[in-house]
Amino acid sequence: MTQTRRRPSLFQPAVYRAVGSGASQIVGAIRPTLGPIGRVVAVERLLDKRGPEVLDSGGLIAKRIIQLSNPYTDVGAMFVRDLLWRLHDQEGDGVATAAVLFQAIFEGGVRHVTAGHNARRLQTFLEEGTRLVLDELARMAKPVAGKERLAHVAYTVCHDRELSDLLGEIFDIIGPYGRLEIRSGNTRSLEREYVEGMYWDRGVLSRDMISDWRRMRCDLEEAAIAISDLHLRTPEQVLPVLEQATRAGLHNLLVVADEISDSAMSLLLANNRPDRMRIVAVKTPGFGKEEQADVLTDLAVLTGGRPFLRTVGDTFERICVDDFGRARRVWVETQNFGVIGGKGDPRRLRRHLAALRAAFEGTLDIVQRGKLQARLGKLLGGAATLRVGGLSEREIEARKEAAERTAAAVRGALQEGIAPGGGAAFLACQPALRRKMAAASEPEERAAYGILVQAMAEPMRAIVANAGYDPGDALAEVRMAGPGYGYDVLTGRVVCMMEAGIVDPASVQKAAAYAALSGAALALTIDVIVHRTEQPSHASIRGPGQRKKL
Amino acid sequence: MKNVSVAVASGLVYALACAPSSIAHRLYFAATITGLQRSMDGGRSWADALAKLTLQAPLTATSVAFSPDFGEDCTLFVGAPGGVLRSQDAGENWRIATLPTPPPFVTCLAVSPNYRADGLVFAGAMEDGVLRSWDRGESWAAWNFGLLDLNVFALAVSPNFTEDDTLFVGVESGVFRSANGGRAWRETAFPMDAAPVLSLAISHDKTVILAGTEQNGLWSSRDQGESWQPVASWLERTAINTLHIEKCTNGGLALLALTGAAVWCSYDSGASWQKAEPNAGAALTCVAAPDGIHAGAELLLGTEDGHIWIVRAP
Repeated sequence: MTQTRRRPSLFQPAVYRAVGSGASQIVGAIRPTLGPIGRVVAVERLLDKRGPEVLDSGGLIAKRIIQLSNPYTDVGAMFVRDLLWRLHDQEGDGVATAAVLFQAIFEGGVRHVTAGHNARRLQTFLEEGTRLVLDELARMAKPVAGKERLAHVAYTVCHDRELSDLLGEIFDIIGPYGRLEIRSGNTRSLEREYVEGMYWDRGVLSRDMISDWRRMRCDLEEAAIAISDLHLRTPEQVLPVLEQATRAGLHNLLVVADEISDSAMSLLLANNRPDRMRIVAVKTPGFGKEEQADVLTDLAVLTGGRPFLRTVGDTFERICVDDFGRARRVWVETQNFGVIGGKGDPRRLRRHLAALRAAFEGTLDIVQRGKLQARLGKLLGGAATLRVGGLSEREIEARKEAAERTAAAVRGALQEGIAPGGGAAFLACQPALRRKMAAASEPEERAAYGILVQAMAEPMRAIVANAGYDPGDALAEVRMAGPGYGYDVLTGRVVCMMEAGIVDPASVQKAAAYAALSGAALALTIDVIVHRTEQPSHASIRGPGQRKKL
Repeated sequence: MKNVSVAVASGLVYALACAPSSIAHRLYFAATITGLQRSMDGGRSWADALAKLTLQAPLTATSVAFSPDFGEDCTLFVGAPGGVLRSQDAGENWRIATLPTPPPFVTCLAVSPNYRADGLVFAGAMEDGVLRSWDRGESWAAWNFGLLDLNVFALAVSPNFTEDDTLFVGVESGVFRSANGGRAWRETAFPMDAAPVLSLAISHDKTVILAGTEQNGLWSSRDQGESWQPVASWLERTAINTLHIEKCTNGGLALLALTGAAVWCSYDSGASWQKAEPNAGAALTCVAAPDGIHAGAELLLGTEDGHIWIVRAP
């Protein structure tokens, strides 16, 4: 029988050494990438023998580091990796900033705890300080608008002029909630297109309904829409729809249903006559009853119709003309269908959108925010598609990844504004933190604010050092200039960052600060590391978690 | 001067427009339900401006807009159901641009103040939002991102459009603003309960935007549409079909508002109003002020029954 080797649990002070060492290895790999003159990191590939990946994105680097050889330092590394990965997925940027902040706070905290301060009290005051930092960052945020300014924000994230110009144009049109799809392109360059109206990834249910065989498409003008998630299994179940449509003299009819049996479809096809009434059927968009109900609600509000839902026992038996939604145009292809010019009550639509926006602002769940944003984007009357081309598949994938995280950052900037970049915003939090430190009544409180004061200089310190300048000299000059000033590493001068256009999305800064400060505060309270040799069967896969409302 | 009226159509006069740089020539156009009429003598007599098209049936004309450089390019645009007509010789010959189907009903037109450089023309439509042409009216596309209400009654372009790319639309549920040349729209805070907004006007210095509603009086904004207030001095509750604003000789603003029964003028930035009722026998639908807005100035009024009245401003 094979003996299972169990690793002994680790206790303080070895825990701090292990966690710190592991965190340092991750942070050490990411720190060089911070700033406009950052460096690149080569990461060995595990699955093939091609050359190493050369990365300049902190988030991607963090994802690539899967395990360290020492199981105890690996705990620290994975702790940091997890919070950086979540940040990357959530905001698309800010990972390197969070990494250097985490390291500064954790190391400062360890010094104080080993000197005798209470770790839990220190955590409490660090979390208080986190709230102060977030408030200060929010205070510095200014709204951003206009194609050029948005392109500039995009450029600070991706450093790709062509991509940032296109994203600036796109977000200037679609706005903070607009729908943007990023896809691989077939050419060498970037292309964008704008689609009018709202559309879904559901196509025609029967190709016999296609009228334009060259484009594989059917266009309906002044269309009536029967909105449902019903399963139409017999011709009798669909007959009332046809009767009402005929009685009302409708010429174009779209039937939305989750299932249509062959016999029911036969009835629709038999009545599909271009000279009398053109009929097209599509499957209900969405997966699951809840998502389908949301889609149908939105479609009903947009078109002024009534959704027929399986869950409440609806059938088409009592459908009347007023239940049909109406639209200026409906188009249906094999994979998609769209509605342009819904004729619902515009006041009702605007109130519905306001409710969705309020729900978006109020929810903490990342998945829920994604769903709400998708609904908002669809209802805003158009969508943009960015096709990312390149010379090779690898280049396309890399550029697509850059486009996606830049788009997330620009969207965040539109939603929450921009703030001085280059670490200047964090440096500008120092006066408020110093005031709290001066007024502190407990040693842990004074220590916590002292740690935060020191940590706030770390992002700028790292940016300046990466660019080859002396951080001490640079920070001294910046402090003399005052709040909002920072070091422009491209010119080697102290400038007002906002005026110089050196900015960051405020949402990214806040998310990075929160992830680092709260993560480090928590890490300071780790007292024991316990290793398991095998995964327990009841372990569940952790979800994407909640986005903290900052 | 006694009020004078001329019959120009067998039905509704949708819009009146006077060529901007030809006051001496008195060139006017009237968009009517039975076609486009042109006058070259200050509205005293009118003739079919589309005669050369040899149409089989009268073409309803719904709106007229002049190029800001009309004195040089002689260009004007006319909205019609399903299309926009362009003349580049002051209405002698016309070219028709067909709009994307289904045929939109064009309710209003506006030309960019920077038309010479950007070639932008905007058409508001009932149920189809705003269509935009970037090539001087040759081709058109709907740009309705963020325009949650596609029932457009009025368009107003910022006089500073060259710098700010801003324009406003009056719609069924309020007012929307575009800050990127009509490519995307955002809601303004105009109260939905006070809508529909039938008419809009922007002062030359952008300090005031006026919105005329169907039943809730006259509203103004002094912060680019961020907030709106009812104009306290306006007491009428009937539809405000047309609005004009211009700079007054006393340094303030001269305002002109048309309701179904009367034309109202204010020469003190809306603090007080004078009224003139032409007793036209039919509802008033549109107004043009070729000589500007001042007491005694000549005004042209279009009516529901196809007449054009020449009256004096109060």
